[in-house]
Amino acid sequence: MIEFQNVSLVYPNGTQGLKDINIKINQGEFVVIVGLSGAGKSTFIRSINRLVTPTDGALLVDSNDILRLKGKELRKLRTKIGMIFQNYNLVRRSTVMKNVISGRLGYTGTWKSIFNIFSKEEQLLAYENLKRVNIEEKLYNRADELSGGQQQRVSIARVLTQQPKLILADEPVASLDPPTSHQVMQYLKQINQEDHITTIVNLHFIDMAIEYADRIIGMRAGEIVFDGPASEVTEKTFEEIYGRSIREEDKRGGGEIDG
Amino acid sequence: MAKNVEITLPTKPRSKWTLIKRIITLIIIVWIYIWTISSVTIKWDVIFSSRTMENFDRIIPRFFQPAWQETSSIFGKMFETIFIAYTGSLAAAVLAVPLAFLCATNIVRNKFLNNIGMWILGAVRAFPEIILAIIFVAAVGPNAFAGVLAIAIGSTGMLGKLYAEVIESIDMDIMEALEASGANKLQILFYGILPQVLPEFLSYAIYRFEIDVRASSVLGIVGAGGIGTLITFAYMNRNWEEVGMILLVIIITVTIIDQISGFIRKRLV
Repeated sequence: MIEFQNVSLVYPNGTQGLKDINIKINQGEFVVIVGLSGAGKSTFIRSINRLVTPTDGALLVDSNDILRLKGKELRKLRTKIGMIFQNYNLVRRSTVMKNVISGRLGYTGTWKSIFNIFSKEEQLLAYENLKRVNIEEKLYNRADELSGGQQQRVSIARVLTQQPKLILADEPVASLDPPTSHQVMQYLKQINQEDHITTIVNLHFIDMAIEYADRIIGMRAGEIVFDGPASEVTEKTFEEIYGRSIREEDKRGGGEIDG
Repeated sequence: MAKNVEITLPTKPRSKWTLIKRIITLIIIVWIYIWTISSVTIKWDVIFSSRTMENFDRIIPRFFQPAWQETSSIFGKMFETIFIAYTGSLAAAVLAVPLAFLCATNIVRNKFLNNIGMWILGAVRAFPEIILAIIFVAAVGPNAFAGVLAIAIGSTGMLGKLYAEVIESIDMDIMEALEASGANKLQILFYGILPQVLPEFLSYAIYRFEIDVRASSVLGIVGAGGIGTLITFAYMNRNWEEVGMILLVIIITVTIIDQISGFIRKRLV
C-alpha cells in the first residue's frame, strides 16, 4: 500500500511539482495517472521511488516513510519497486540477458555482480520473465538490435526479475505506435492481474486510460483534481481534468487491435 | 488566391563596428605573417645554390639503395619499437581511465575536482614525447624502459581527455533505471556506464597505439630505445643507405599497423 500524506514538492527553481497531495493506493490496484504534460504526473510517480525527493510531508510505501530512508535502506526498498520508462532505458550495447539480469543487482553483492555471478535460479527467473513477455528468443541479442516495442518488453522483463510489489511506469507507450502501445499495456495489465502487483502508469491518452485502468487519478498543476474508478470516467471528466476540450491527439486509437 | 506581394529579405543588420573589426583582424594577421617570415632569415640564394643541388644529388639517391644486409638487425629494433609503443599505450589506456572519470562533469559533480583532473591532463599533454624521453633517460638510463615511460605518460594526457568526452556523452537515463532498481554506485558503474564507454575507450586506445608507434620510432634519437637509436648511428656515420633501409621498414610497419587498427576500430563501435 502507498499513502501520500500532505506531500509537496518544490523544485530548486521554484516550480511547484506537487501541492499537498493526500491519497492512498491499495495493493493490487491498476492506477492510471492522467494529465497534460507539466501537470506533475512524472513528479508524482518518481516521488514513490525517490528519484525525486518531495520537500514536505510523508510518503508511506509498505508502511516505510520513503522520505526518511537513505543509503542501504533506500536501495532495499527500491528493489521492491520496479520502474518502466518512456525510452526503455536499456543498455543498448549489452545483451538482452544482461539487461534483464541487472534487475537482480539490488539483491546481489557488489563483488558478485562485478564478476557477473548470478545464481542458476536468478538466471532462470530472468529467462522465465522474458518468456512471459514472449521475447525469449532474443535472449542473446544486443538490446539495440530490437525494435522499440521489443525493448519495452525487455524492460518489463527486467522489472519482473526484480520481483517487485509495485511497478511504476512513466509514459511507457509514448514512444510507440498504437498497436505496440496496446500490446505493452496488455502485458502490464496481465502481470497486474496474475501477480497482484500494484501498477501505477502515467498516460496522456484518454482512451487507453479508460480501457486499462481500475482507477484513474487526474492531475493538473501539481494537484489531484480527480480520483475515481475508471468505469465512472467519461470524456467530460477528462475535459475537466485537462481544463480544455478533448482533441484527436489525446487519443491513441487502435484499441480494437488485439495482441 | 495568393496575393501578388513582393517578398524581400529583411536587411541584414550591419554595423560599422563589424567592418572595422574585420579590417583590424586582417591587418594583424598580415603583419604577423610578414614579421615571422622576415625574422627567420630565409637565404633564398642558398636554397637554390648549386651546392644544395649537388648535396641532394649525392644523398637522395643513396636513400633509394637500401642496405638490405642490415634487414635483420633493423627488424629487431623495429619490433622493440612496437613493444615500447604497445606497453606504453596499454599503460596509458589504463592510467587515463580514473583521470577521465575525475574530469567527467556528469559523473563527478564537483567543479573543483573536475578542474584538478583537467589540469593534470593538460599539464601532461604540454610535454612533447621527446622531452619526456629525455627526462626518463636521465632518470632510468638509456634503455627501452625510458621509452615506455615517455609513451605512457605522453599518451595519458590525450587518452584521458578523449575518454572524458566519451563519458560525458553517455546516456544518463540508464543510470536512473539502475538506481531505481536499487543498484548501488559501483554496480551502476559496471552495468550502466562501462558497457557504454568501453568499446570507444578501446577504439581510442588502438588509435593512440598507432600514433605511439610513430612517436617511439624517434625516441631512440635521445637514447630511449627502439629503432631511433639506429637512425642516430647511421646518420652520424653518413650511412645513407642504412637510413634509407630504416625508413623503408618504418614506413611499411606503420602502414600495416594503420590498416590493421583501422579495420579493428571500424568493427568495434
